[in-house]
Formats: sequence, C-alpha cells, structure tokens
Amino acid sequence: MTTTALKNNEVGHRQENLGYRAVRMLLTQRIALLGLLIVVVLAIMTSLDFAGALSGSYDADYLAAALISAVPLAMLGLAQLMVILSGRGGIDLSVGAMVSLCGIVFGYSYGIWDLGLFPAILITAVAGVLCGALNGFLVAYMGFPPLIATLATFYALKSLALIVSGQKPISTLQIQDFFSAAQSVEIPVIGHSLPDVPLGIFTFLIPTALLAWVLLNRTTFGRRLYALGTNDVAAIWAGVDTRANRMLAYVLSGLISGLVAIVIVAQFASARPDAGVSGNGLALPAITIAVLGGVAITGGIGRVSGILLATLLIVWLNAGILLAFAGNEGTQLQLLALGLLLIGASLLNNVTRKKFGVLH
Amino acid sequence: MSTNLESRSPATDGTPAPRKILPSLVTGQEGVLIGIIAVLWILLGLLTPAFLTSGSILPLLVAVAPIALIGVGMTFIIITAGIDVSVAAAIMVTAVITSQTMVATGIPLIPAVLLSIGVGALLGLVNGLLVAYGKIHAIIITFGTANVFQFIGLRFFGSSTVNGLPDTFDVFGRGEAGRTLGIPHSFAITLLVVAVAWWYLRHAASGRHLFAIGGNENAARLAGIKVKPLVLMTYVITGALVGLAACFFIGQGTSTLEQSVGAGRELLVIAAVVIGGTSILGGRGTVFGTLLGAILVQTVTSGVTQLGWPSQLSDLFVGVAIIAAVGTDILRERSRRKS
Repeated sequence: MTTTALKNNEVGHRQENLGYRAVRMLLTQRIALLGLLIVVVLAIMTSLDFAGALSGSYDADYLAAALISAVPLAMLGLAQLMVILSGRGGIDLSVGAMVSLCGIVFGYSYGIWDLGLFPAILITAVAGVLCGALNGFLVAYMGFPPLIATLATFYALKSLALIVSGQKPISTLQIQDFFSAAQSVEIPVIGHSLPDVPLGIFTFLIPTALLAWVLLNRTTFGRRLYALGTNDVAAIWAGVDTRANRMLAYVLSGLISGLVAIVIVAQFASARPDAGVSGNGLALPAITIAVLGGVAITGGIGRVSGILLATLLIVWLNAGILLAFAGNEGTQLQLLALGLLLIGASLLNNVTRKKFGVLH
Repeated sequence: MSTNLESRSPATDGTPAPRKILPSLVTGQEGVLIGIIAVLWILLGLLTPAFLTSGSILPLLVAVAPIALIGVGMTFIIITAGIDVSVAAAIMVTAVITSQTMVATGIPLIPAVLLSIGVGALLGLVNGLLVAYGKIHAIIITFGTANVFQFIGLRFFGSSTVNGLPDTFDVFGRGEAGRTLGIPHSFAITLLVVAVAWWYLRHAASGRHLFAIGGNENAARLAGIKVKPLVLMTYVITGALVGLAACFFIGQGTSTLEQSVGAGRELLVIAAVVIGGTSILGGRGTVFGTLLGAILVQTVTSGVTQLGWPSQLSDLFVGVAIIAAVGTDILRERSRRKS
C-alpha cells in the first residue's frame, strides 16, 4: 500500500509534464473537472443546436431560464453538504418532507392568515429550524445513525404535511400572486446586454451560498465541522463540542429546507403538501449533487463551489436532454444521465484517492 | 475456521473461555416487537371487531410478504454494513419485464417466476459488483443504480401501463386462488425463506462471516474471509428476492401494471429491517426481527385504515415506530456496554 503510493509519487515527479499535471488537476480538483464537463456539455449542445438536431434553441436565454430549477437543487445540495461534512454517516433523507411541511406552514401564514411576507418567511424558517433540530437532536445527542433518524423524520414530517393541510394544496390569491417571486428579472447595471435571470437566484440561492461559504470557511463552527467530520474522536480531544456542532449542521439543513419551501411555493404558485416528496422526492437529487460536487460521503471533505458547479452541470445537461429528445424519452434519459454521472463521479473519487491521495 | 470459533473448549491455560459466538435464540428486540404487535392486535381487535378475523389478518399477511421477503435480502446487506436503496426501482424493472413477457407470450407460472428472479438477480449483480469491487459506499452506488434502473423500467413501460395481465400470479394474490387451507401462499413462501435465511445466518460458516464483515471488514479480510464474493452474494440474493417479490406485487394488483409499482418500497423495507433490530452500522441483526418489523409496519398501516383515520397518519406512526425501536435498541446497547 505505502510502497505503491511512494512509487506513484516518484513516477509523478519524473514525468511532471504538462499533460500529467493537467490530468492530476482534473482528478484532484473537483472544481476543475466540473468546469471542464460544463464546457463539454455546452459545446456539444451548442453544436447540436447548429446542426439543427434540437427542438429549440440552446442559447443564453434558454440556459438562464433553466436556472430556475437550479435554485432549489443547489440550496438542498448545500444542506446535504453541511450534514455530510459532519461525518459519522451524515446524510439527510428528510429534506423533501421538511420542504413539504414548511411549504404548508408558509401557505398558512402567508396565504391564509395573511401575516405579511416577511413574518411568513420568518415563521417558515423557524419551522425549518425546528424540523432540523429534531434531526440534529436524534443524531447528535441520542446517537441515532443519521440515515435512520432522517428516514424516521422523513415519514413523520411527510405525513404531518399531508394531515395538517387536509391533503389540499393552498393556492389563495396571495399565494398565486407570489408567483412573481419566481419570475425572471434583468440584472441591474450590466443586465441589458445579458439574458434575464430567475429572481430566486438573487433572493435565495446567492445569499444561501454566501452564508454557507462564510460559515464553513470563515467561522470557528465551519472549521470545527470539518474537524469532527474528519475525525470525531480527535475533535473531542481537541475540545470541540461535537454534539452541538453536529446538531447545528442538521439545524442548518432544516433552515435551508424551509427557505427552499418558499422558493417552490413561488414556482408552483401553490403550497402543495407533497411538494418535496412526490416522484423521486428532493433528497435523492440533492445527495447526488453533493457527491458529484466532490463531497466525501465519509465526511470532512467538500466545498460550496463544488455544489454550485455540480448543480450547473446537472441543470444545463438536463435542459439540453429535454431539447434533444422529445417528450417522455427526454425525462427518462435525465434519470439515466443522473445515475451514470453519480456512479462515474464516485468511481473517479476512488481512482483519485488511490493515485493522488486526497480530493480537494 | 468456524468450527474453531464455535467449539467452546474449556480454557486450559487459565484464560477466560471465549465469548459465545451465537446469539440467543430470541434477541431482546424481537421480544419487544412480539409484545408490541400483540398489544396492537388486541387493541385493534377491541376497537374494530373486524380486525381479528381472517378477512382482515390474511390480507395483512399477504401485504407483509413482499416487504419481508426483500427485507431478508436487505438484512443480509445491512449486516455487512451496506445498504441498497435501489430495490424500489429494481421492483419496477422486474415487474414490467415479467408482466410484459406474460402478456406477450403467456408463459406459465414457473418460468415467469424464474424469469423475474433471474432479472432481479442480474440487477443485484450490477449493484454487488460495483459495491464489492468498485469499493464505493453502497448508498452512493445504489442511489446511482436506482436512477439507471428507473430509466430501464420506464423504457420498458414506454409511456403507458401494462394492460390485460393474465391471472398467472393470482396464486400469490389476496383472493381464494392465493391460499391453500386458508394460508396465503405468498406468506408461506416468505416464512420458508425467512427460516432458511435464519438458519444460514446462524449456523452456516459463511453466514457468520457476514457478521464479521459488518463488524470490521478489514479484520474479516485478514482473518481469511473472502469479503468481496460474500458482499457480492448479498446483493445478488437481494436482487433475486426482489424478483420473487415483484411476482407477489403483480399478483396482489389488478390486471393493469402501473408505472408506480414499487415506488417508495425501498424506505419501507429499510424501516422494517431497522425496526427489527438490525444495526444499520452492520454486524448485528436477524431476519426474524425483519419479519416482525414488516408485520408491525403493516399492522400500523392496516390499523389506521380500519379505524377510519386518514391513511396518511400511518406514515407518522411508521416514523415514530422507527425512532422508538432504534431508540430502545440504542439505550439497551448503552446499558449493556456500561455493565
């Protein structure tokens, strides 16, 4: 094991030419690989567009409009980043159920009780925090394996959302008007020459991503999260309150789910009790985004930028597939692409770990 | 190897006798589950007189069968510290291929079941190869293959349902054709599989090896256990059982196979396994507990419907049951470690 690693290193030093360095960068820097893949997808789709093989034009306007589905996807990917980073099998299967329940909370507080937009957003965020705190308490303080704890809360919260709402979506006038929050807007100052971008990018995604980046990279909480995700026992001996910090990761996942609920209510102009759990749900795509973005499922490794690039790749690839294949075939091929990307990315993570050590 | 482990020769050199390898016949968790199920059945029997009749219990057992059956395979996998979240998609693939073949060629029962098992085992082989030889965390791989399987299944469906299914699988169904002497065939088959799996896990050498792998894979490998083939085997077995369970699902349904067949079952199966006392961290678990877990989940689901409560409540109770079951297990482990 050690000797092969040494040998690889020696070989690496001897053949330190440009090609080798490029390969190493692509394999060890997930951001570089994702960037390259995005360029490849854009190039292939654009050339297909010029060849007339697509049913619509794959241009900047289309790409910008496709970003609307990137908002919930990237935000939930960031939620998974937080909990997976915390290690000990960290994962959150309950995000879809939390989105459903928080959406109903928002529907009631904004659409029915008419409390005004900001109090409603606040109440929804608090609901998300409470759901996340339940997960965090079970995992960090009770010692539940995260998979089991969030599986249980997935069932419980999904059921609560359906029962509280009486299985009926809330789509009062206020909620219908709230659709304007999901529309595309022109970017100020430089926007007139650029395509309009979905409003949610600025109101929700960018603030969440910035907050996540600051939390992970510029606060003691972030550094402690990486520490306890890398080695729980070492973190305890280093004086880290692993329980409180791990719990906070799940609370943040709940908070982000609450915000995503508001985004999804705006997109559908309706608070649906099954918004986060219908079909494949939201947890599976979010976990896929996280793994594709270079987050190690064992904890302690992962970056915000990886999540954002992985989301762009998936969203723009899916948008292209929809243009290239009409109807059902397109949505089915999206599944295939997602599955193969996930398996490919994790096989690649392995190769990287064997050949170069750590993935950045 | 295992004979060495199991023989309890008295310690001659004064060292303490080796800790016993085989667990007691009924573990604590199973006792608790039997108690809870008994209390629930009695309560439901008192509240709704129709519950404790064969018209209510037999459909319950028929509904338990496919979940418990896949649960047996899932127990094997989770004992080795793996997991398989692709079973729902695998049910869809096997069900659609089998039912389309039956509609097109009208093949009889046995070949149809074998076809279904074969397709399921093939899907399990894909999972197993990737997990055992690709050395990737099982949850990631099976999330990936779940997507790929779903694609395959939906391609077979085209954009419609499979219509005009023959009554070949009625022998696994709820109706009169599905019973002999009042016992549902599907549940009897499940009991048989559970019994064989119970014996295998408890008494076969390779069955004990699965626990060793789940306890510490590296130690198991160094002790000479062939880890990779055994891990591969658990996924293939699960796939084959998914194939058999798909026949049960078809038999329980109508003459139309919907695209939603199997949807959400992966989590239900995992819930049954962990409620049954199998540790998600590997190294501990029993198939008997899984059967009880499946019965508990199904009891809750049917109970809620029979009480006339909104059926969505059953998911809430399933969630609470998972927390209660795993919580008591964690507390018991803690007190055992303290003593």
